[in-house]
Amino acid sequence: MPLRNTAEAYGSLAKFLHWAIVLLIVPQYFLAEAADELPNGLEKLQLVNWHKSLGMLVLLLALARIGWKVMNRGMPGPIGEPWQRKAAAAGHGLLYLLILAQPLSGWAMSSAANYPVTLFGWFQFPALVAENHDLHETLEEVHEVFFYSLVTVAAVHIAAALYHHFVLKDGVLRRMLPFSRS
Amino acid sequence: MPTCRRAGVLALLAVLALGPTARDATAATAWTVDPGHSQLTFHPRLAGGEFAGRFERFEATIRFDPADLAHSSLLVSVDLLGARTGDTDRDTALQGSDFFQTARWPKGTFSSTGIRPLGNGRFEATGKLTLRDVTREVLVQFRFDPAAPSGGAARMTGSSSVRRLEFGVGQGDWRGTEWLDDAVRVDFDLALRAAR
Repeated sequence: MPLRNTAEAYGSLAKFLHWAIVLLIVPQYFLAEAADELPNGLEKLQLVNWHKSLGMLVLLLALARIGWKVMNRGMPGPIGEPWQRKAAAAGHGLLYLLILAQPLSGWAMSSAANYPVTLFGWFQFPALVAENHDLHETLEEVHEVFFYSLVTVAAVHIAAALYHHFVLKDGVLRRMLPFSRS
Repeated sequence: MPTCRRAGVLALLAVLALGPTARDATAATAWTVDPGHSQLTFHPRLAGGEFAGRFERFEATIRFDPADLAHSSLLVSVDLLGARTGDTDRDTALQGSDFFQTARWPKGTFSSTGIRPLGNGRFEATGKLTLRDVTREVLVQFRFDPAAPSGGAARMTGSSSVRRLEFGVGQGDWRGTEWLDDAVRVDFDLALRAAR
């Protein structure tokens, strides 16, 4: 499997970034919910910090994914009717936007409450906004709205991929599968 | 004999008259802190990241003369109830029994026992810091910038590294240092005006 994308399938780097982002995002919901249940204390701090570190890793991987996509234009072409192509392009654009916006809103939310944001304690990111209680409350809601939006768009994305695979029986899903050769 | 007595009375009067002045000559300048232009902050490292909190209320009795360190002294009393970090949950935790336990020990105090010059307008004070029911010696490094001739305030800016666990600031889970460092940097930037 080549590193770069080909006309037939995504390369190993694009695939790696796609699936790494999926695997990192899924536990985010559970970490946030579990932390929410806990009283203030060390255990809550630990869960929130895992959530924040994973989120910042998603942000970095998403930037890498977009950068690689821009640098690596020879990717599999779109398939389907013009309206389907448009819908797919819009859906993918929205997914990228939300995958960036979600960690950014979380980062800003931490900064507004004057909490440091690090990557597993190895590296501290600068505060994105100044300390501001009202802004923190607003961003908390924004972070939740982005989450539900991401779940909705991702559900459509998954449904479309499965539709291609099981109904249209084309190679669209296979070209992004981790160990698929075509 | 009468002359002698008169001289003695005069000398006594002179001592009484000059007394306060003579005492002033052995004490460094007294300064008052301009609270609107001064700040006292603390910088804990939490989960590998640093954040800043501030003490909104503190009082300082400062006698300081770079040329007379022997008679210079710093005395600071901090109202720990005024500790603010930008998050009400964390502020509440700081007041609780795991940290300052302000219901029992509402104040933190620092009292210098000696000041030595480090050169280039920098100094180091040794002193006793009391937090909760524990008093330990700490070092405070600072610089002193006299007021500009055009007016304005003199500035005293500095820093101290406080080992919170020596003072019991951090009970229960917070006795560990994996998620909250033991060393907490305390910074200050004081605008000083010569007291009248």
